[in-house]
Amino acid sequence: MSTTDERPLASADEPESPTNRPRSMHLVKQWLQRPYVRRLLWITVAITAVIIALSFVMVGFMNMSGGPGSAIMNEIEKTMFVLTFTCAPLMAGTLAVLTYSWWGGWGSVASGDEPTSDGPAIQTNGVAVVTWITVCSVLAAFLVVWGLVELATITSDSYGSVPANQQPNSAKPVVVNVTGQQWLWSFDYPDSGNIKSAQLVLPINVPAYFNVTSLDVVHSFWVVEEGVKIDANPGAITNTGFTPTKLGTFNVRCAELCGLHHAYMETKLTVVTQEQFTSWIREQGGTTTS
Amino acid sequence: MSTAVAIHEQAHVPQPKQISNPGGFLRRTNFLTALVSGVVTAAIFWFATDKITSAVTGPGATNNMSLPSGLNISITMMYIGWVLGFMAGIGAFAGPIRWFLGHDLTHADAEYMAGKDMGREKFWKFTTDHKVVGIQYLVVTLILFGFGGLLAMLIRTELGATWTEVFNPNFYNSIIGTHGIVMIIAMIIVISGPIGNFIVPIMCGARDMAFPRLNALSIWLLIAAIPPLVSNLLMGGIRDGWTVYQPLADQAPIGMIGYQVCIITFAFSTGIASVNLITTIVRMRAAGMTWSRTPILVYGILGSAIMGLVWFPMYQYSQILALSDRTLLTSFFVPASGGSVWLYENLFWLLGHPEVYVIVIPATAGVLEYLPVFVRKPLFSYKLAVAGIFGVVGLSAVVWVHHMYMTGWAPQSNYPFMMSTEMISIPFSFLVLVMLGTMWRGMPWKRLPMMAVYAVVWNKVIGGITGVYLSDTPVDQYMHGSMFVVAHFHYMLMGAGLFGAMGVISYFFPKMIGRYLDEFWGSVGFWTAFAGFQVTFMSMFVAGLQGMPRRVLQFDSLFNISNWISTIGAYVIGIGMLIFLYAIVDSWRNGIIAPDNPWGGKTLENFTSTPVPHENFPVLPVVTSGPYDFGTPDPYELADDAIMRKTEGAEKVSARS
Amino acid sequence: MSDSTATEIGRTLSSTTGEMVEVTGSRDKLGVWMIIVSCTTGTIALLVSYAYLWSLNVNSAWAPTSGSANWAPVWPFWVIFTAMFIATLIMWNGYRGLCSGKVAAMKSAALLSSLLLLGAFVAQIFQIARFPFGPADGAYASATLWLAIANGIWLFLAVFLAMAIFNRTRAGRVTPENPNHARLVAMFLTYLCVAAFLGSVFTTVMQDSPNTQSPPFGTFSQ
Repeated sequence: MSTTDERPLASADEPESPTNRPRSMHLVKQWLQRPYVRRLLWITVAITAVIIALSFVMVGFMNMSGGPGSAIMNEIEKTMFVLTFTCAPLMAGTLAVLTYSWWGGWGSVASGDEPTSDGPAIQTNGVAVVTWITVCSVLAAFLVVWGLVELATITSDSYGSVPANQQPNSAKPVVVNVTGQQWLWSFDYPDSGNIKSAQLVLPINVPAYFNVTSLDVVHSFWVVEEGVKIDANPGAITNTGFTPTKLGTFNVRCAELCGLHHAYMETKLTVVTQEQFTSWIREQGGTTTS
Repeated sequence: MSTAVAIHEQAHVPQPKQISNPGGFLRRTNFLTALVSGVVTAAIFWFATDKITSAVTGPGATNNMSLPSGLNISITMMYIGWVLGFMAGIGAFAGPIRWFLGHDLTHADAEYMAGKDMGREKFWKFTTDHKVVGIQYLVVTLILFGFGGLLAMLIRTELGATWTEVFNPNFYNSIIGTHGIVMIIAMIIVISGPIGNFIVPIMCGARDMAFPRLNALSIWLLIAAIPPLVSNLLMGGIRDGWTVYQPLADQAPIGMIGYQVCIITFAFSTGIASVNLITTIVRMRAAGMTWSRTPILVYGILGSAIMGLVWFPMYQYSQILALSDRTLLTSFFVPASGGSVWLYENLFWLLGHPEVYVIVIPATAGVLEYLPVFVRKPLFSYKLAVAGIFGVVGLSAVVWVHHMYMTGWAPQSNYPFMMSTEMISIPFSFLVLVMLGTMWRGMPWKRLPMMAVYAVVWNKVIGGITGVYLSDTPVDQYMHGSMFVVAHFHYMLMGAGLFGAMGVISYFFPKMIGRYLDEFWGSVGFWTAFAGFQVTFMSMFVAGLQGMPRRVLQFDSLFNISNWISTIGAYVIGIGMLIFLYAIVDSWRNGIIAPDNPWGGKTLENFTSTPVPHENFPVLPVVTSGPYDFGTPDPYELADDAIMRKTEGAEKVSARS
Repeated sequence: MSDSTATEIGRTLSSTTGEMVEVTGSRDKLGVWMIIVSCTTGTIALLVSYAYLWSLNVNSAWAPTSGSANWAPVWPFWVIFTAMFIATLIMWNGYRGLCSGKVAAMKSAALLSSLLLLGAFVAQIFQIARFPFGPADGAYASATLWLAIANGIWLFLAVFLAMAIFNRTRAGRVTPENPNHARLVAMFLTYLCVAAFLGSVFTTVMQDSPNTQSPPFGTFSQ
């Protein structure tokens, strides 16, 4: 029985002393004893750790301008973590094989030489194929289910399917009509006497619903730290919404190229307390209902 | 109407009457006559249309966006005149006219048109030999990348100079759109053009493609399509991204017409090329080359051609209708008169999504094709690779709405399209498994094509995970329209696509040109560009995560640092690509002469001489085995078999995979 | 190998490649099918544009804006389609005749077919010129106009193809042993008929938009 030098010597599982373990476990254990398999697994673990650490860095970048400012943005960040954690092992395994091959873990032939022998004639490996397809399908299915559930959650936050008397503070939602045009945003508050404003002001913990349209070309209404975005289309009305959970000043940007001054089509969202909001409305000449 | 030159088979077939000298009208046509004819026809069309429209519509007729539509019509006719004149001047109409009159090509005509014994001149003419067309595509592709790359340097200069506006916003908006479409066109043709035309017929064991005259037609239509596109920058620019969303595109000056005529023409070029590739691959493989012995590159190009064939007319019609809105004042995309922006977006993305697979699949299949040669092992699970390619081809048709999650078009549709988008990652993962499985336990031969594989896998992993983020609608609600998207698609199309194409081209370079690509300078250029690429686009991910929108030339100071870093990285890419270009040009003239089988491969092109003779093979080959017959028996399996034989005594050992 | 006739072994050979015409014919057939697939997507783009704008009625501007009831009369669509349909049938008939040896049948069929298609082309131009609306008169006008223009362009190509078959039959290039080009043209004409049929159905059946409540442009009132 002459083999390559990497084969381990006879172990307790050698057929001379048969055990009760199923044959497939024996095969897996044997496979795990190949040196390169162990090294690949360690590299995979290390890279997985790096990827998971990077996900915190990524979300950190997302929060640099003051977010998260709403439950929707929190969900988005949670989803970033979940997506990264679940995909990390597969990514890491791929990069591990890449790294190991490149570093010459299985040997290599220098660029100036000619290859003198062939590698092992592995046409396919049923176990590997089935395992891979199963893992990828399960992962994809999980991503789909997670995504669908998240989408439903965010949609209900955005379009106000929660009845008014279940809102925090039992507050009536604020409706804002958003008009995009080249190159500015304007906001109307139809329930407050139709006041118009170039800045978006909202009270904290009160759901805000937006009707969005455009007077000319396609714009995109993006309230960055609140995690909502919807195109402003000419000839149509689109909807979005969120409940601000953090006081402060945030960014509203246009996210669809709309011409000469697209880069400057920004304004601010200011989230204030309910009292400040009411006095702001009065200052703009509007009427406040209780 | 196949006019493939078949030296030995046709010598004794009665010929139709030889009308004039062999080649007929095509004896007098070349690139120069095409240029002159194009310019003259353009001028005539413009002048005539101008006169007619001012007589008919009078001064002051306007379209919906305050541009005089008469000018639009005459500029449109000018560009159409350019295309028609150019094609007439290269001799493209000779074929249909001869067919109509019944003056079919004789053997001598066909040989003339295939450029037999013609020297360098054949590259400047309407030559049908697929090897000539392949070289023409290679040169055109390099020129397009050069132009697109120059625009990229300008873009990054603007974004890096955060303290000022280097260009005025209209020009900046035009160069980002032009950069985008030039690069997209170049990436669509980079593998299917040079490799699909030059290598695939030889790899299939044929003498030429199925429709050689259509082959020449497709390259010359592509060449005709480029000046209208490039000229846009001189005519006010397109002032829009490469997606030229309506109704913003309607506000653009007449430069937009150049874009639209370019796409309409390019769509014909691509469609014709796809027909040619599909028919060649399906009908002209050598005897014995069954579908299970067909090289994976051929499958990849077949899948890409099918997608292009089926979906390109959507894009073409979106531009035709947009042009109609501008010139005839129709209202397909003008909401005030009944048009819909969502109609435009749907027509566009119905092609727009399959298009990225048109780009990525040939590059991936090309890498899979040569990887076995460099690890000297069979391609791992060949059938899985084929399944992966066709899974992607099939599913690519039902994911397009993920580009429109945020348009508000049909919010309920976000659910099924998110599902289909996640699902398409599964067949794509098959291709990754095949790549990994082929690398597994193989000893890589560290030449440039092999090193490109590592670059491709790395970029694909990063592009892939960022694609997973974007495919999730809630996350896309943050990421859409930000620089995160820009970095993602550059990782896929450039990182996996272009670097893969560079590997594929360096692999087939010896066979096509007759000399090896300079290993040292090629590698220096490649890795310099790769390093610059990581810096540029990793930093761009950061800018996107921080909340920087795309297609903006000025932005919040929060994004300054990531833009400075990206710009430095971009200059490094530029240097690297120039070095790679130098390697190509220098090797073309002075490289090491390549033998018949430059890398020890087993596909058919390695069994004819280098350079490839005019008729490809003196005798058409017969295939008796698959193309990845490498490898020695696996020592682990032998050992396991020995143990099993020992334990199970006389029990027969069943054959492993 | 003797070369006195191209049919010495009972098979006809193509004069440009020396291969059997069945081989080149099967390639040509696949090529034409691929072209038809691509053209189908284009037709679908126009039909989808028509249907989508009909269903949306953006800004209530689907119907022709230059006066009421300015829909295009429906009968010209069907007349043109019928002419195309008959021309296609004639071409198929001629092809069948050709396959059983009657070259004259193919010649007359191709000629008749091209004259009918020419008539259809002229009729198409007349229809476009006589539409009771202009291109700037709303979405229905735009979509109908382009269905008609596209059909006109295809008809122009069809006339060329049918005349070419007539010519080639006269010149002896289309023969009972080598009838493939006639078949391919007939296939393509069939596709054109399907496209014309669908366009005629859409313009006949989908006139008034079902959406009567589209929001006025630029406002939030519903």
